[in-house]
Amino acid sequence: MSTFSFAEATEWRCAACDQPLQPAKVKVTYLNAVFNVELMVCPACDFILVPENLAMGKMLEVEQLLEDK
Amino acid sequence: MDQSQLRALEARCIQEEMPFCTASCPIHVDARGLMALLTRGELREARKILDRTMPFPEILGRICDQPCHPFCKRGEIGDPLWIGPLERYCVSVTDTVLKPPKLPVKGGAVAVLGAGFSGMTAALDLSRKGRPATLITARTRLGGSLPDRAGSLLPPEVFDQAEATLKRYGAEIVTGASLDRQTVAALLDKYDVLYFDWDDFTIDHLPFIPGTPDPISLALERDGCFGGGGVEDGKPFSIMHQAENGRRAALSMERYLQGVSLTAEREKEGACPTRMYTVTEGIPPASEIVPDNPIAGYTAEEAQREAARCIYCECLECVKKCAYLQEYKEYPKTLVRKTYNNLSIVQGNRSANKLTNSCSLCWQCTVICPYDFPVASACHAARQEMVASGHMPPSAHSFALEEMHYTLGENCALIRHQPGTTASRYLFFPGCQLTGTYPDTVERTYIFLTQHLEDGVGLFLSCCGAPADWAGQSALFTDVLADLTAQIRQMGNPTLIVACSSCLAAFGKYAPELTVVSLWQMLDELPLPEVLFDLPESPLTVHDPCTARYQEGVRASVRSICGKIGLPVAETTIGAELADCCGYGGLLQFANQPLGEKVATLKVSRSTTETGLVYCAMCRENLVGTETHIAHLLDYLFADPEKNPLVRAKVGLSGRHEHRSRLKSRLQSTLWQDLIGSPAPHRAIRLEADDETWALLNERLILMEDIQKVIHHAETTGRYLHNPANGRRLAAFKPVVVTYWAEYEPISDGYFLHRGYSHRMQLPEDRA
Repeated sequence: MSTFSFAEATEWRCAACDQPLQPAKVKVTYLNAVFNVELMVCPACDFILVPENLAMGKMLEVEQLLEDK
Repeated sequence: MDQSQLRALEARCIQEEMPFCTASCPIHVDARGLMALLTRGELREARKILDRTMPFPEILGRICDQPCHPFCKRGEIGDPLWIGPLERYCVSVTDTVLKPPKLPVKGGAVAVLGAGFSGMTAALDLSRKGRPATLITARTRLGGSLPDRAGSLLPPEVFDQAEATLKRYGAEIVTGASLDRQTVAALLDKYDVLYFDWDDFTIDHLPFIPGTPDPISLALERDGCFGGGGVEDGKPFSIMHQAENGRRAALSMERYLQGVSLTAEREKEGACPTRMYTVTEGIPPASEIVPDNPIAGYTAEEAQREAARCIYCECLECVKKCAYLQEYKEYPKTLVRKTYNNLSIVQGNRSANKLTNSCSLCWQCTVICPYDFPVASACHAARQEMVASGHMPPSAHSFALEEMHYTLGENCALIRHQPGTTASRYLFFPGCQLTGTYPDTVERTYIFLTQHLEDGVGLFLSCCGAPADWAGQSALFTDVLADLTAQIRQMGNPTLIVACSSCLAAFGKYAPELTVVSLWQMLDELPLPEVLFDLPESPLTVHDPCTARYQEGVRASVRSICGKIGLPVAETTIGAELADCCGYGGLLQFANQPLGEKVATLKVSRSTTETGLVYCAMCRENLVGTETHIAHLLDYLFADPEKNPLVRAKVGLSGRHEHRSRLKSRLQSTLWQDLIGSPAPHRAIRLEADDETWALLNERLILMEDIQKVIHHAETTGRYLHNPANGRRLAAFKPVVVTYWAEYEPISDGYFLHRGYSHRMQLPEDRA
């Protein structure tokens, strides 16, 4: 399965680990569909950043497509 | 719903019925389509319509005696259209454009005796069907009595053209034949099926007694023989009658050769009634255009002006009123077909989910429809099926259903006897949305009822379950209603005083065992409180909620109360049993937010004055959202006298959510002196945000409490992101299904929210 990258340099840092975020592969799921995507993640605690433009853009679009399947 | 039920339902929509001109035309020429094309000057396309329906349009088009004329709806507002002369214009200025196909030749020896126009038509239709006919006339040319009757209207070459057409389709033409009894007797033996055209064949030459032709099939007494055409008793010669008889006979002869019923399913053949319903009110009258030179007929310019008088008869009465049908460019027949097909999809996209979920289930169209088409019940049933088959998109109704659960839950729901009593004759049920929008008013209304009604007025804060019903969640709705009725039984079955028309409708329909009365009808019978406001001088337009469509008594009481308190009111252009929905009905605004806003704007546009008055909490919320000054009637009776009812702001989703739980705890402590436990810790978080952010959250269906949960989770676990450049924090939390994100920063006694958003896609469990 191919991986789409949504990783972009960001100023957000993990507060708990005091670490900059780094691109990492993440499996996201919705209604029995699984997607491999690359997101910015805290390398120490795995906190995943879902930025607003992704959540309200591509992610919402895919959610709605899957809901109509 | 199966296919036959669907077809029965579809048949109730009359939009696709024939317009009056086409129905009254014996061969059903699409005159409405013809008028549209002539108006636009598209002559070739116009000619195609005639080529498609008319036999020999070069003849029929020139002398059509337009039996449609008296049926033209334009006659109600001006003069009926002159469709015949317009056809004449069309065929005079165009050549044949379309040549209908010819089917492969099948067996059967077919003869047509008499070459009048009905004989010609029968021969042509049969030859096109692959049954090449032998057309026999005693005359030296085709047309029977036509050339003599039509005179200069028919140039001689049209008969040459007709002859060429017949030959092209394989017909054989025999002219100058002897058609005496003996010859005819021989022809009866030679051919399998025969047609006798009375315009060009002398009935005395028949070697058998024909009897009266069957009116449906034109069959004569002798098997395989058919007869028609000529002049009908007591009527003038009609070319359309010839065409109709020829076409009818051809179909009968084809059926005869196939050995099937000659008469089955032929109701729509020939001039027939139509169920079409067209309202001419509001269409400006227009007089007929008379050609300058009646002999030459219409000029191009005259024809265009005459055709332009067509009002294009159709129904669409429901579509004219309903923003939903307009949005999807559907009428009920096409709409239910799409919702049905959507349910049948096994693989691929169910592209009509949103369509099915965007109906407000308000029944306005059904009231308008001359055949009571039930769009609401079709959409509702489709939703139930989507839920049952697991195909309902989770996001369509989840917010509304979660709010319903919240309202039914321990934070908001309350059922108590009047303080100091142990029995209730009445039980006030304000409903979830009135409690959410006007908690103070609910409290004042309740206290008023306790002061004016005897034998105890209990209070029941809850939800009637309508959101579950609208969402197609039948099992959930049944459970909610069963639980509500059980609680009411435990209170001793008091009379329910219901403020909301939706609750009233739901209880009336699904819980008929309850005794229910509308708050408005109850108030109308009580001495009303003194109004503490300066009442407006100019009238407020009363907007009835769509759910009061079938509640005439409620609507009357509301107006009566206004009269008693001296509140001047006016009526909408469309209201009462035709009232529009405000966007909340059927959970439309959750499934299709932009359409919800359009629907609200449309409802407001029915106002006849600058300001409005409603008696449904959701109407107020949605109509105020259109930036109109709208008051709720309870505002004038029971609201805070410091607040002008016409300028109260929209409460919003978060506000309604908060109000419900706060009202319960406040009433528990003020009326029943209960000890109230501490609220959940996240609710203590103080949040600030600018108006735009609150509006954005509302639009994204995110509650303030969702954000409080995110921040509480982040600040207690330390799991959040931090932006050193601006000091903001970003955190996520998934209370149930949706993951909420908040971008915020700490301020002195709480947090300032900058952004809020959400997604339903799941991140790996241990990483969120």
